Parts: sequence; C-alpha cells; structure tokens
Amino acid sequence: MSDQAVSTEGTALIGGAERRSARSLGALFLPLLAAAALLAPVPLWLGDSRVLMGVALLGLAFACYTIGFNLIFGSTGQLFLCVGALAGIGGYGAVLLADRQGVPLLVSILLATVAAGLVGGLLSWIAVRRSLGVIFTGIITLIFALAFQNLLLGRGDLTGGESGLRIQSGSDSFLGDRILSYYAMLTLVLLFLLVHGLLRRSHFGWGFRALRDDEVAAELTGVNVARYRVIAALVGGAMLGLAGAVYAFSRGRISPSTFAFAQVDVVVLVMLAFGGIGTLLGPILGAIVFTIIDELLVELGQLRLVALGALILVLFLWVPRGIIPSLGSVFRKDH
Amino acid sequence: MLEVTGFSAGYQGNDVIRDVSFSVNEGEAVMIIGSNGAGKTTLFRSICGLSPTSSGSVRFNNLDITGMPAQRIVRLGLGFVPAERHLFPRMTVHEHLALGAYPQRPDPATMTIVFDLFPRLGERRRQHAGTMSGGEQQMLAVGRALMSQPRLLVLDEPTTGLAPKLAQEAYQALQVLRRQGLTLLVAEQQVPLAMAYTDRGYVLENGVVSLEGTSAELAADPRVRTAYLGVT
Amino acid sequence: MIYGLGGALNLAYGQMAVMSAMVVLFAMDAGVPALPAVGLGLLTGALLGLVLDLTIFRPVYRRQGEARVLLSLLLTLGLAFVVDGFLTWRIPFRGLTLNIGGGPIDILGVPMRRGSLLASAITILAFALLFAFFRTTALGRAVRSVIEDEQGARLVGVDPRRMLRLILIMSGFLAAIVAVTRAMVTPVTVTLGFEITVFALIVTVVGGLGSFPGALLAGVILGIVNSIAASYIGTFLSLIILLAAAGITILLRPSGLLGVRE
Repeated sequence: MSDQAVSTEGTALIGGAERRSARSLGALFLPLLAAAALLAPVPLWLGDSRVLMGVALLGLAFACYTIGFNLIFGSTGQLFLCVGALAGIGGYGAVLLADRQGVPLLVSILLATVAAGLVGGLLSWIAVRRSLGVIFTGIITLIFALAFQNLLLGRGDLTGGESGLRIQSGSDSFLGDRILSYYAMLTLVLLFLLVHGLLRRSHFGWGFRALRDDEVAAELTGVNVARYRVIAALVGGAMLGLAGAVYAFSRGRISPSTFAFAQVDVVVLVMLAFGGIGTLLGPILGAIVFTIIDELLVELGQLRLVALGALILVLFLWVPRGIIPSLGSVFRKDH
Repeated sequence: MLEVTGFSAGYQGNDVIRDVSFSVNEGEAVMIIGSNGAGKTTLFRSICGLSPTSSGSVRFNNLDITGMPAQRIVRLGLGFVPAERHLFPRMTVHEHLALGAYPQRPDPATMTIVFDLFPRLGERRRQHAGTMSGGEQQMLAVGRALMSQPRLLVLDEPTTGLAPKLAQEAYQALQVLRRQGLTLLVAEQQVPLAMAYTDRGYVLENGVVSLEGTSAELAADPRVRTAYLGVT
Repeated sequence: MIYGLGGALNLAYGQMAVMSAMVVLFAMDAGVPALPAVGLGLLTGALLGLVLDLTIFRPVYRRQGEARVLLSLLLTLGLAFVVDGFLTWRIPFRGLTLNIGGGPIDILGVPMRRGSLLASAITILAFALLFAFFRTTALGRAVRSVIEDEQGARLVGVDPRRMLRLILIMSGFLAAIVAVTRAMVTPVTVTLGFEITVFALIVTVVGGLGSFPGALLAGVILGIVNSIAASYIGTFLSLIILLAAAGITILLRPSGLLGVRE
C-alpha cells in the first residue's frame, strides 16, 4: 500500500461543477423560481407552530449565510471562518443601533450591513495583500471570529453577555410577525441567489471562474485577482451582515451563541460542502437538508452531536464533491 | 539502458504526449528538444513516476518501471532533476545532500565529488535552499540527485533561468559527470547548447517525436535549423 | 504539537488529547498506578494517530493542495463532533486531574506549583527530543522533506505516505502529552477538545506551519502573554490580546516567527 503511486492530479473538491450553467437568463431564473415555489408555501403548512416556524426561519438564515460564504469561498477560494462573526456584526450592530441609539429599524439594518461588508472586505484585503494561502486565511479569520466572540462576552454591559439581548425594536414592525418575517428572510435568500447568479454571469463571474481554474493564468490574462477577491468578500460580508441583522430582529433575541463559530461556521461549511462548493443552488439545498436533519436529530438529545458528526464523516467519505456536482456527473455519464 | 515505447501521458484524460518511443544507451548523452509546451516536462515526469501514465511502457535496465512511484524508481538508480527543482526551502544544503542518499547513509566520497563539481555548494553547506539564487538551487538539485549514485541522470531544462555563462558552466559540469560514466538524458530549450554536449537527440513537437538522429545530424537538418537554431 | 503538517489540518487534535486523558482516567479508576496509566494514555494517543491515518486520512492524502486541506478539515470536524458528542453523552463532567504531591517550590523567590514545574519540564524535554529527532536523524530529515516538498521527497526516495503516517502517530502521541501535562495543572474535562485544538492551531500558525523551533517559541511567548494579560487585566481582555497578538504576528510574518519566506 505504501508503494502505491500518489496521484498527482487529485480530485478537485471545488469548482468545475457548473461550468456550463447560467448562460441564459432562463437558466438563472428557473432554479430561482423553483426555489421560491418550493419554499413559499412553507408557512401554510407550518404557520401555526411557533417552534417549527422558528426552525424554518433559522433554515432560511442559514441558507443566506451559506450563499454569502459560497460567494467568498466557493467563487474566490478564500476560506472565511468568520461567517458567524460577520453575521454577528450585522445582528449585534443593528440591534444596538436600534435599541440603544434609537436609530430607525431599516437604517440600522443598512448601517450594520455596510459595516459587515467593510469588515469582510478588509479581512480579504489583508489576506490578499499578505498573499495568505487557504490555511492562513482560514486561521486569521478564525482568530477574528474568536476575538469577536470574546468581545461579545466581555462587553456584557452592552451585549448582555452570555444570556444575550431581548430586542425591543422591530417587534411592532413586519419583522415581529412570524409569517411576514419568514417571507422577508425568503426574499433575502432569493435576492442573494440572484446577486450571486448575476455576478457569476457578469465578467466578474468569468474572472472568478478563471481564478478558480488557474490563478496564475487568470493573472496573466489580465484578471485582477486581488480585486475580485476583495469585491467578493465585500459583497459576501454585506450579505452575511444583512442576513444576521434581519434574523436578529425576526427572532426577537440574540446571544453570542447565535453567531458562534461552532453554531454557525461549522454548520455553514457542512451545508455548503454537502450541496456543492461553488455551485449556485448547492447552498440552499444544503441548508434545507441540514435544517431538516438537524431538527430530526433533536429527538436524539445528547446523541445529536454524535449523529451529526457521523453524518459528516459518511457524507464526505462517500460524496466528497457535494451532492449537486456528484448528481451532475452521474447525469452526464448517462448521456 | 532506458527504453521508452509507445508512451502516452497527460492530465485528466487529455494526453499531452502520444505514442512516444525513444531509447538511451549506457554511457550516452541524449537530448529531447522542443519548444515550450511540446510535452517535455510531462514526458519526463511520467517516466520518472511523478505523474501518471496512460499507456506504453518504460524499461530501465530491462526492468519494467511503468507507473512505478518515483520513490522506488529513484532507488533503482534513475535520478531525476525536474524543471521546478522541488527543493526543500527550509533545509540546508548539507541536509539536501544527506537526504539525497536516503535511505542509505550519505557516502562521503560522493559528497566530495559533488562539492568538487560545485564548489559554491561547499561554501554554503549551512545555507537554506530557499535563500539561494536560481543557479545555486539548480546545482543543489543536481547535487541532491547525484547523492543517490544514479546510473542514469534525467534533467528537465537544467538551464532555465540561468544566465548564459552559468548555463555553459552547468553543461561543463554535466560533461565531467559523463566522463565518470554517468548516462544523461536532458530536455532542453536552449538547443545549441544541448547539441554541443550530447550524442543523440529527439525532437518533440506537439507531444509526438517528429525527428531523431545524432546531434550532428539534427544540427544540420534544415527544419531544426529554422525552428530551433534561429537560422533562416 | 505536530499539527497542520503535510498539507492537512486535524481539527480532532484536541479530541485525541481528551480521549488519551480519559484512558488515563479509566486506568487509574481501575486501580492502575499513575505512571503506567499515563504510559497507557500516551500509547493510546499514538494508536489514535495510526487509526486516524488508516481511516479518514486515506482519502485526504490522496488529494493535493487546497482539496486536501478542505477534506481534512471537514472529516476531522465530523470526527471531533462524534467524539465530543459521545464523551459528553457517556461520561459528562468527568475530568482528569493528576495531583503532583508536595507544596510549592520557591524559584528565584517566586512560588511555583510542583505540577506546573513538572508539566513544563516534560514539555521542554519532549520538544528537545523532537528537535533532535528532526535535526539529526535521517528519518527525521525524511519527515521534514515531505513537509517541505512532497514531490521533492519522492525524488530522493522517501515515501511520503509512510512519513505522513509517522507524523500522525507522533501527533497523537504529543496530543496525549499535552493532555497529561495539562492535567497536572488544571483538570482535563471531556469538553476541552475544541479549546486545545484552537490553541494548538494558533501556536502552530504563529510559530510557522511546520517549523519546530517556531512552534516552541510561539508557545512560550503566547503562554507568557496570556498569563501576564490574565493577571493584570482580566481573562476576557487577555484572550482578545492573545488572539490579537497571534493575528498581528501572522500579518507581519505570514510564514511564522521563524519561517522562511519563499
């Protein structure tokens, strides 16, 4: 076994999956409409249950996070392990502005979104400037995430510490209604998908793809690798912040664990890898499937973590490229 | 000594080189010339076990080494100096040479030969490879390969990135090694230089062998003269 | 703390440490004297490394570059969940404490706990042995060559797969040492895995991925920064300072304190 030749090619875990997709507008809008049609009736079915609607809302929030992360990591290869922290900047930022400073709800959401986008862009700019590789980008963003988490816990006077904050603002707006907030979140999901889809179609998309395939070649053909990365992180960071802020107001209370690394980043990574990194619809598929699985696992009580871990192991040992690309290649083989 | 027949290799199902056959006899110096992208690097990497082979066979000293991993091929006495060199940036010159002999203990006599050949390496025993100049790194890559006491040394573009004077010196060093009985196989873009120091050659174009002959014959061939020697 | 070497990340590192600690705990519960129990724990760590190599790291090492990092990250994360979940389910609230008897010893007028001293001594010894292994033995050099350049290693006749296996076994052994030495100072509980992983990760990266003197230096410096900050300004800010220090080091020297820029 030890003499076996190690294949130098390696199977790419990322990219290449949807090379031909989204050329026509129809190819972009069709899956969008399908997702909308699938998710829109959910409140009709679950609407009476406060608990289940909460789960559905969380699922949509995760779909948003995963799309944002997919834009940053899937499209430009920057391993941002601070998804929760960026969403937390949006969430805590908007809540503190609205509750403590009396800033109007939508303005506070907007400001927090911009802040999260800027922080995302800044992190990316640092990583690009210092030409950090995947591991280093991952670790520096992880450090940022942990520092943010500690800040939340440490400034308990502002953030309510571990027990978190009960949010006053927004409860009388549409975000206070569980059905309306579901649709608000769903709108975000579709909006993010649209933005990501359009970005992929634009010359940015070609840049992204060239970047994925061969960074050096992309650079040689005049694609400004650094700029694409920073822009992707800016947009992605803003997505995360916006989703975090809207989710915070919809839920009515937040705590550090709402945005903790173990609760957000890990889940997002799993969802994305499950759905297919770099694919358009992978994030939403992963988010739906894992939200359902997670809900089913709640009944297992303490064994939930074991089951989740085992699932991750089995999943990535068998379909390491994610569901959508794997299905895609099965489909192609048939033809 | 080395017999390559009907050899094809490439990446992800696309063969970069197709049905290539050539041989190297004991004591010879053979060159493979061709323009950038002709497939020289793929050919050498596949022969030496760093990249996968699609079809064909490679025999070394009448032993089939097709598809054998590089670490075993090296131990059979086939040393390879790739174009990218693949040195260890944070290890010293001395450590490279000691590793070259792995799994045996480094042979002091061989080490002396290397230091005689490349006095610069002797002066920089404790320097890290990552901090050395391109020329020094090339010397180190050759030195490291020599430490395993190979019978055939395969070099991929040994003069890439070297100033003309250094490139000349590199070939003079190879000439010294030949006189000590080493067989050489060199891929080269600097065709005139390679021709002066080799016995025979093959021209690789778009992944296939288009011409072969002694170095003198090739140097006289009008096609080679226009394409590689800049004679019009 | 061999960690993140060979182009893969092991996020189950802390769990390896915790599992080793639990073996020591159960051995001592079963009446095994402390010293053999610790020996058993270290053996467990090494064995865990081997098991990891034979199972989930097989597909990992079949890949190259970014795909390898990512797959290792996901798989070890899954493993960490399984281990964490299982341990907190079966044996919550258990923790390993190794009491080193005797009162504090005065060193230069500063009272030091015997446990801390012994833990430091063992850590330094382990580092010295590792350093010697990597610098002076042919096998150690072969391992380093794989970390530096896998293809280069193959060209000198080193089988990368075997070396990567050795790395994981040593990594497991060292994780067990971390657990045991830590148990001499504070209890090693079943929930400590993630914290150990993160600290190890930060230390390695600050020290320079794959650089041993760097890891030692970073460990010492971060340890000092942490304890000074903790005693003067409280734990919450000290953690942030620690993280900031780590972040700044990475930014100033992306290849680590003692790393060589390529």
